[in-house]
Amino acid sequence: MTDAVAHTPKSKSELAIIITGVARDPLGLIGLVIVGAIVFSAVFAAWIVPYDPIAMNIPDRMQGPSGAHWLGTDQLGRDTFSRVIMGGQVALKVALPAIFGAMAIGLTLGMIAGYGPKWLDNFLMLLFDTIRSFPTVMFALAVVALIGPSLQTVVFVVMATSIPTYGRVARTQTLTLRNSEFILAERAMGASITRILGVHMLPNIIGVLAVLAAMDIPTVIALEAGLSFLGLGVKPPTPSWGALLKDGYALIRQTPWLVVGGGLPIVIATLGFTFLGESLRDVVDPKLRKNR
Amino acid sequence: MLLFTLKRFALAALILVVAVTIMFLMIRAVPGDPVSIMLGPRATPELKARLIAEMALDQSIPKQLMLYFGGLLRGDLGVDVFSGREVTTIVFEQLPHTLKLIFSAITWSAILGIALGCYAAAHPNTWIDRAAATISVSFIAAPAFVVALLSLLVFAVHLQWFPAIGVGEGFWGTAWHLVLPSLAIGLSWVGYIARLVRASMLEVMGESHIRTARAFGLSERRIIGAYALRIAILPVVTVIGVGMGFLLSSAVFTEIVFARPGLGKLVIDSITTRNYPIVMGAVLVSTGLFVISTALADLINALLDPRARTNT
Repeated sequence: MTDAVAHTPKSKSELAIIITGVARDPLGLIGLVIVGAIVFSAVFAAWIVPYDPIAMNIPDRMQGPSGAHWLGTDQLGRDTFSRVIMGGQVALKVALPAIFGAMAIGLTLGMIAGYGPKWLDNFLMLLFDTIRSFPTVMFALAVVALIGPSLQTVVFVVMATSIPTYGRVARTQTLTLRNSEFILAERAMGASITRILGVHMLPNIIGVLAVLAAMDIPTVIALEAGLSFLGLGVKPPTPSWGALLKDGYALIRQTPWLVVGGGLPIVIATLGFTFLGESLRDVVDPKLRKNR
Repeated sequence: MLLFTLKRFALAALILVVAVTIMFLMIRAVPGDPVSIMLGPRATPELKARLIAEMALDQSIPKQLMLYFGGLLRGDLGVDVFSGREVTTIVFEQLPHTLKLIFSAITWSAILGIALGCYAAAHPNTWIDRAAATISVSFIAAPAFVVALLSLLVFAVHLQWFPAIGVGEGFWGTAWHLVLPSLAIGLSWVGYIARLVRASMLEVMGESHIRTARAFGLSERRIIGAYALRIAILPVVTVIGVGMGFLLSSAVFTEIVFARPGLGKLVIDSITTRNYPIVMGAVLVSTGLFVISTALADLINALLDPRARTNT
């Protein structure tokens, strides 16, 4: 347990240690660079894009890649490169709130399950197992069918389907910590439950969950893109990588650059976050390095 | 073992019951009356009245839930809003297409992944091992529908080596049409399985019965193929069982991209026509499939490794 305490990021210097550790690993460095580039282009998207990503320009429609339009234009004459950059912003707008939300709720429920009475633990575990038993995309489709497609729907689906994963990990960690000496000592001194959970257990659990979250981001980006590809995610004309793929697929013989423009960012983003997550995991907690 | 089997299936049944209840309550929790949502703009008073009577919407919620469960036990998932056909029939017509796709994908990726994993474990820390590890991570990262689209673009549209749409006829036609879709679904599994086999293989190779086999002078190839692999393959069984949900999810996208019939196509088409009972039916059937395959994976594991029986 002392290991976990020592490796938990608490101060800036420890964060710096983690970043240096990741950067020393070649794959981690690649991941760091890719993620950095995606975040940068998402934050400054409005200044980077050469054209308005939703402005139609019919005379220039279905143009191949050229000096004026690096990745060509779509069937409405919109600049693909601008839409790709803006799409990155949309992807992060869905992924980050969804994952933070799922992490917060999963953490709370998991800690309650691990620390609370047995019946509550059993109930929450059954609930988690049930939610995990829906194939993610099928569940997403059912929810979309019910409440209609929108950005909020995607965020909700991602949250609902990933809460169990965070919850289970938080519960296991809580169960192992529960009988450790420093927690028993706190209890003997009469610390309240909220103090034990919030002040003493939380710092020891959050590191593991953060790694899990980093590795979860690609899944979420892919799900958002997938739903938008099916026309069930973000609404047009919002530029999403999935929407680009949808337009490209419909006219795959005329505008194949749309498929490349929508597909490659997803692959690159997924690679970046996966490399970063794997490397982060090895640095933060080498014990987690198991099969996968 | 019998007790374990019973317990595991009881848990699976319980999960299914809760899953159905959640689905059911979700439908009822949607604002507005379900009939108008289901029928959309096409709702005529007669159609509405028929649906209300059929779904017992005039009853109390617990009563409705009981009726729904009763129907499920008889294999009745309701009827198609428009054609009036049984949802069960429609769903089970499409299911074989999806299963064929999933099994072909998991078969090729498991064979290749196990071979890669064995090779990497036999030659640890060589450049081949490192290259395999890097490629594994990269492949795990590739979302099935993006691989599907890019392979459609390159191999079907541009090079025209493979057909772009449909399922084909006859054995060879079917197999030919399965190549690209199962490539898309299986690709991320190759790396995953390879890593899994490599890790568990290295673990097994350190055990005493392998040392004994070595002492008897058996060839390394024989030790890995005949003795170590038998145990090292266990995690793959579990992972495939648990990964069923993931496979089903990838199949949805792949079916759309390659315009193949199947559960995914059925659900998407039903969403666009707001054909509600079919969406629910297909989701429930795929959930059932997932729950059963997870339970089966646990059972196979318990059968092969007695230590796993005490965990649940």
